[in-house]
Amino acid sequence: MPQLNPEFFVSQLFWLAVFFIFLFVFLWRVSLPRIATVLEKRQNKIDENLSSAKELQDQAMEIEKKINDQINKAKLETDETIKETINALQEDVSSQLSSLDKDLEKKVSDAEKEILKSKDDQMKNINNEIINITKLTVGKITDIELSDNELNKVIETHKGNFN
Amino acid sequence: MAAKDSPLKQFEIDPISNIELGGYDISFTNSSFAMLITVLVITLFLTLTVNTRSIIPSRMQLISELMYNFIAQLLSDTVGDNGKRYFPFVFSLFMFVLIGNMVGMIPYQFTFTSHIIVTFALAAVVFIGVTILGFINHGIKFFTFFYIPGVPFYMHPLLIPIEVISYLSRPISLSVRLFANMLAGHTLLKVFAGFVVSMPFFTGVFPLAFIVALTGLEILIAFLQAYVFAILTCLYINDAYHLH
Repeated sequence: MPQLNPEFFVSQLFWLAVFFIFLFVFLWRVSLPRIATVLEKRQNKIDENLSSAKELQDQAMEIEKKINDQINKAKLETDETIKETINALQEDVSSQLSSLDKDLEKKVSDAEKEILKSKDDQMKNINNEIINITKLTVGKITDIELSDNELNKVIETHKGNFN
Repeated sequence: MAAKDSPLKQFEIDPISNIELGGYDISFTNSSFAMLITVLVITLFLTLTVNTRSIIPSRMQLISELMYNFIAQLLSDTVGDNGKRYFPFVFSLFMFVLIGNMVGMIPYQFTFTSHIIVTFALAAVVFIGVTILGFINHGIKFFTFFYIPGVPFYMHPLLIPIEVISYLSRPISLSVRLFANMLAGHTLLKVFAGFVVSMPFFTGVFPLAFIVALTGLEILIAFLQAYVFAILTCLYINDAYHLH
């Protein structure tokens, strides 16, 4: 078995030491730091991008919040305006209605009064007419002169029968 | 030493150029050449692919990063935060064994990890390093590593020697595991390759198909053994920090 032949042991150990130490030093000093910087750079880049993405997201959320706030505010304002307008209109309408009511009432009461008055007048006229007619009739039929007071008394007692 | 067509002939070392230093023969051999190729592949690949240092990696750069993250993850899983200091060493070890195994899968190419002296040297570095680390971290208390708490007292005379032996056998198990896997795999491939030639007519196709399948398995083993080597190193480092 050639592996157990000590002839080349020293040579193999020597070259192994030379090459392995060279490899170790080279990797330690040159290759591995290079790869490490690349990996670190990439990690930094990723972190940076992630943090900026986070920042942008925060900003977007803030803007969204602002927009929502403004929308809410605008809604409230419009609600307020609508309410105010409705109230004002209602007040206006009710005041106009009440004034109209008053007018109407006044007119109605005036009319009633007038009616009453004219009724009274009519009644008086009717009384007078009745008195006159009665006077004339009684005068023509008989020669009895009736005074107005006597006639009035008679009319008053029979008034219920006219109405 | 081996016969001309022995399956073990592939493990023979041939000097490419003879060098002597202080009376020792340190010839540059085919084994050294395989190590050179391995080191060149690793350093060039890891350097060139990450050359642009682009944030969005190319496919090749991604492979380097994946290897980096693979070992970094392994270390942080087993050792935790203490492990970061040993990352370059564990990474070098992993890459050296992995690419050494992979270079060995190239036909006619020498596999230096199939030599016990190489794997034992790597394992010994790990073992000695971890032992020193244990003494640095815990001082003389490191010996309590062999004392298992919560065991009946009369078991200790039995358990402590077992623990000591298992600790001392770590470099052997670590090195023999890799060495034996590589040796067995390449020997098996060679044996079946011999069948392809020696079997009559077209029947050589069957061992050939088997070689193809076995090559896939060997590539898997090449990765797996490098991974095992690295993860055991991580576990030993962890032991040096946390005694039981």
